[in-house]
Amino acid sequence: MSVLVSQVEAERQRVRAQFDAGATAKETLRQLCELADGTIHQMFGDMMKVHETPEEGLSLLALGGYGRQMLFPYSDLDILFLFENQKSEEEFRPLISEFARTMWDLGFRVSSAGRTIDECKRIEEDNAEFHLALLDRRFLAGDQALFDKLDKRILPPSEKQARPFLFSQLHRLTKERLARYGNTIFHLEPNVKEAPGGLRDYQAAFWLRQILGDRPDLRGSSAADEEIAADAVEFQSAIRCLLHYANLRNDNTLTYEMQEESANRSLAVRDGVKRDAAEWMRLYFRHARTLSRQLLRYLDQKITMPLSLRERFFSAARSVARPEAPPSGAHFAIRNGQFEILNQAALADRAIVYSLFTEAARAGTPLSRDAERIIAYVVSHSELHAINQAMTWDTLKEILAADYPGMALRPMQRLGILMEVLPEFRAIDSLVVRDFYHRYTVDEHSLRTIEHLQALADPPDARGAQVAALWRAQERRDLLVFALLLHDTGKGMPVENHVQGSLTSLASAASRLGLTSEEEAEVHFLIEHHLDMSATVQRRDIFDPSTVSGFAATVSTLERLQRLCLLTYADIHAVNPEALTPWKAEMLWQLFVATANHLSRSLDTDRLHASDEASLLAQVQAIAGGAARADIERFLEGFPRRYLAMHSAAEIAAHFGLYRKLGNAPLQTDLKAERHGFSLTLLTADRPRLFATIAGVLAAWGMNIIKADAFANAAGVVLDTFHFSDLHRTLELNPSEVERFQKSLADVLGGKAALEPLLQSRESASRARPPKVAVATRVNFDEGASAHSTLLEVVTQDRAGLLYDMGSALARLDCNIEVALIDTEGQKAIDVFYLTSQGRKLDSRKQDVLREVLQGTLG
Amino acid sequence: MMKLEAIIQPSRFESVKDALREVGIEGMTVTEVRGHGRQKGHTEVYRGREYTVDLLPKIKLEMVLPDKLVNTVVDTILKTAKTGKIGDGKIFLSRVEEAIRIRNEERGESAL
Repeated sequence: MSVLVSQVEAERQRVRAQFDAGATAKETLRQLCELADGTIHQMFGDMMKVHETPEEGLSLLALGGYGRQMLFPYSDLDILFLFENQKSEEEFRPLISEFARTMWDLGFRVSSAGRTIDECKRIEEDNAEFHLALLDRRFLAGDQALFDKLDKRILPPSEKQARPFLFSQLHRLTKERLARYGNTIFHLEPNVKEAPGGLRDYQAAFWLRQILGDRPDLRGSSAADEEIAADAVEFQSAIRCLLHYANLRNDNTLTYEMQEESANRSLAVRDGVKRDAAEWMRLYFRHARTLSRQLLRYLDQKITMPLSLRERFFSAARSVARPEAPPSGAHFAIRNGQFEILNQAALADRAIVYSLFTEAARAGTPLSRDAERIIAYVVSHSELHAINQAMTWDTLKEILAADYPGMALRPMQRLGILMEVLPEFRAIDSLVVRDFYHRYTVDEHSLRTIEHLQALADPPDARGAQVAALWRAQERRDLLVFALLLHDTGKGMPVENHVQGSLTSLASAASRLGLTSEEEAEVHFLIEHHLDMSATVQRRDIFDPSTVSGFAATVSTLERLQRLCLLTYADIHAVNPEALTPWKAEMLWQLFVATANHLSRSLDTDRLHASDEASLLAQVQAIAGGAARADIERFLEGFPRRYLAMHSAAEIAAHFGLYRKLGNAPLQTDLKAERHGFSLTLLTADRPRLFATIAGVLAAWGMNIIKADAFANAAGVVLDTFHFSDLHRTLELNPSEVERFQKSLADVLGGKAALEPLLQSRESASRARPPKVAVATRVNFDEGASAHSTLLEVVTQDRAGLLYDMGSALARLDCNIEVALIDTEGQKAIDVFYLTSQGRKLDSRKQDVLREVLQGTLG
Repeated sequence: MMKLEAIIQPSRFESVKDALREVGIEGMTVTEVRGHGRQKGHTEVYRGREYTVDLLPKIKLEMVLPDKLVNTVVDTILKTAKTGKIGDGKIFLSRVEEAIRIRNEERGESAL
């Protein structure tokens, strides 16, 4: 026996030495398999001789990977002992025990099962793995006729009958396995057997192919495809061999150390090019993607079984009742919850491909695997003469601003289109950056951040519940998502600080795509500060007011704070599944709330002294074309600092332009169409009831105010901005009404027309609809927020004319609005006013009366 | 051997960890916890909703130390975790009977 042990061990060492010397994995696995086969033959034969037992009634079968002749150095030998009947099982049992022990002594890890031939006919519903492994059966030793009986007569009919069961079980097991690894191939230290893109994918695809029948439509579309798949299997197998030999056990994790080792050896590299570990890992991901795609194609299939007469009848009836014909001329349509291509020829026009991505992002519907294959074909064949290839910023913006941007960005990345549109992303393609916390490659991490945000439409757990409202109300998602795509691109650049690298990416992308300077500035802010909120949460005392005010100074506006909070939530979440603990999510939210409150409560105290803003003055002066500096200073003096944070120098110059015209007409307005409605900027001298009157005119015209702010400078010039939606599309569909609307506003504010008749005609024309969500009214006063004003915060049910009613109530009680910030969140109105009465704060009696009046007005 | 449990401000954690490393402490168990002692919570109102923070976020450090290191470690934590404000946290020490390294069944201080 000891001689045999030495021989087997020597043979193992020889195989290993050949592998180390450059033998292929395929050859190594074959030799290991031959060694196991030969040893089994010899052992089994010797035992039969010693016990003088005939072989009839017992057969040895190799199953699973061993059955397929893919035996890795430290893998188990899956062996089935097949018996003719129970009697033979009892006879052979002692012999089998001895055989298994001996094999263990020879260093083989035997994983054995025993079944009679009758037992093999029955499907064990709780043991699908056994039946799947049986698909790879191979005769090893013993009674050949018994094996042939099982292989040719017994199993084929029962396996045919069990196809739906095997398919559903394999489908379930595979989906569970992929989910355990986050459904991505892009792990920093992947498991080359179990993780997506690993050898288990190949094995599962192999089984699915057997179960589904070797359908020609599911094979690789060309010999080249088959070769690519074979290369991928060889690559992954070589890694697994190396890992087994290095660890001396069945350990399949491709650690950083083993990545270095593989790169140093140029393991499984066929082109002879020497690569560093990061580049070699890119090869790994390319092969992993091949195996993963192959598996997913099989996994998408439905098993077809002959229908009964009744099923055929109902199926026909259904198809008559619900025809799924897409509209004629459509290039794609949704079928079975996925986008399918209807007109392949049309895809040469890239605008159509891009519109498919836009629809996927809007609808939250994925592209089918076939649709992706068709696009991949079109994209990779230059002779098809693509037109409209360049994606404009407007198109990209539409995708990024949709509810489900990840639904488009994922296939865009898989198809290489994302890198065409955004070459800056190439720097992080399949990039492994070693650190203790990240689990995924940098590109995968970046795409996951976006997917975590889109999941906030229906938050999967309590961690997202609070920030979900920020995502739903976010107006410039495109800028946030664009920042997330680029925020880590610097990690793929030879720079010391990756943030600087990412900002360089932004500069080149913004100039190529044509972002406006305001858009670029917003994205720049998010990238530049993408680590700040997380750092503040972890390294500062967030309950210390100075931490909050310092952080508020960095973000400067509520809009930026909201975007940075969402970005930070997504960035931490996408590090690894455990990174965003409920504890961290709570800390992040606490910092957000404290900073948001700080920003809205410090408005009145934080006023602008124009003479301190030399650079801004110079910019405005340059844009305004020769205006006197003293005039600009007079205009800016005393505005809340938030005014500067919210407007660019160009916008301030435009406001200054309106200010200069006040001498000609006492009311200056600027109406602009926006993405979801209009914005009205209005400059005039302050007067009683001004805010309420403007809100009243807007309500009378059927405009729904979504956001507003009202600021006044030291000279009493009021600058109000209203963002509103045109509920009845009056201004959009009737351009002539724009002029009438502006005249109506000027007439009412100028005292030439009364507001009440306008409001009455609107009230009679509109019927109030019951609210979808009931919001209780809350009226709060804060005495400490400002040295000279009282802060009033009202949260109530949003409705048409609400702001007019509130403004009127304030005016009736002689309250002057110093600053106003109006916001809505779904059906909730959230309004903040800084109030004075007779130039002083509101006393407690006045506050009580105001509270009572507002509660009465708002309900 | 003594078991040391320290409840500290999250914002001081990085400094405490670095200082402990400098005095030769590499191993510790860190847990994100919530709680309060004399530092009570507070209420924030955001968009009409009240957020009551009655349990404040803290970091709990746990380590078992050979007797000769206890004073050094306690001093290090006191020096680096202290801000002088309510809510700086606490240190608890308790006697440990035995330590056993699971891998090789080593016992006593050498198992630490």
